[in-house]
Amino acid sequence: MLRVPLLIAISLAIAFGGGIWSTLVALEATIGFGAIKLGAWEAFPQAQTRNADPYAKSHRANAGKLLYGTAEGLTFTAAVDDSGARLDGNCSYRLSGHTPPARLWSLFTNDANGRPPAENAELPAALNSRTVLRSADGGFVVTISASAQPNNWLAVAPAQPFRLVLTLFDTPTAGSSGLIDLSMPKVEKIGCGNA
Amino acid sequence: MLKLLLAIAVGIVGAALLHLVIVLSLPTFSDRDAYSRVLSEGEAFTFHILDQKPDAAGLAQEDPFLETAVCSFDTEERPVQLTAGSGVPFWSLAVYDPASNETFSINDRTSSGGKLDVIIATPLQATALRKAMPEGLNQSILIESAQTQGYAVLRAMAPQPSYRPLAAAFLSSAGCQPAE
Repeated sequence: MLRVPLLIAISLAIAFGGGIWSTLVALEATIGFGAIKLGAWEAFPQAQTRNADPYAKSHRANAGKLLYGTAEGLTFTAAVDDSGARLDGNCSYRLSGHTPPARLWSLFTNDANGRPPAENAELPAALNSRTVLRSADGGFVVTISASAQPNNWLAVAPAQPFRLVLTLFDTPTAGSSGLIDLSMPKVEKIGCGNA
Repeated sequence: MLKLLLAIAVGIVGAALLHLVIVLSLPTFSDRDAYSRVLSEGEAFTFHILDQKPDAAGLAQEDPFLETAVCSFDTEERPVQLTAGSGVPFWSLAVYDPASNETFSINDRTSSGGKLDVIIATPLQATALRKAMPEGLNQSILIESAQTQGYAVLRAMAPQPSYRPLAAAFLSSAGCQPAE
């Protein structure tokens, strides 16, 4: 007797529940298609343009962030290290190498809410190309850890996942399609806990 | 049993359809997109300097080293002129239409003399301006945009704390007015 209404209810529940859930997951998980992946880093040089794909347009309408224009800069983010494991505040990481050509760059970590650290924080939570200490060949090594480190130290909150954000300002990278040849700094895990 | 499987299959197809409908229509209906937030910052034709923490409109500095200001404008009646001086290590400007598509971007090295002087006009206004350029505007960069509404984002870099007053002064002296 009640079988037909029950079947219709099941269909509707799957349609609405699944449709809304999958949309929320898709908009949360990715900024869109067309990412450039360089090791652990990814960037979306088309995200702010008219040519962005529907997912990218939907994501930026929902997130409501002020994106960088092509002449301004390009943001690379990394949520994992080079081995593919999630970046975690319990572990220490070494970021080493060079950035692609850019006039300036900034490096900081976003917390779980996607917010950058305050610039007047007591710990060095953000670095830029003018304040970083470099080696003789112009490269740099940054230790990312919750506890204090010598040389370049980027402080993170302990026991929380985080996301590295490296923004290149005034960079030919933003308008170039030959991005695959560019090299980004390596992100290696150097230990977890108190080890 | 077969009917149950059919019901589930119909549900999955419905879910996929709904997914596409939401993704495609969200940009039209969203009230938390960047343009709505810039509009709720306050009056148009003035640069609003953003804070470190998200304000009531939900906008904030996205980079701890970049002081940011936003301005919404409408070129329906007259073109808008964006101006700013120099004196910061790096500044950049991006102009967006209401759908947050980039229409124009520039930084201090690509501008003339390191100063910001940009006029955004509709194609009709731009033709009129080119015919008889007023005296004060002939150094300006003229951008044609068929979209009359939009917003501009101006960023100034303060790589060290001592640069912050410079960047703040740069942003507070920036102009976003209808051109005379």
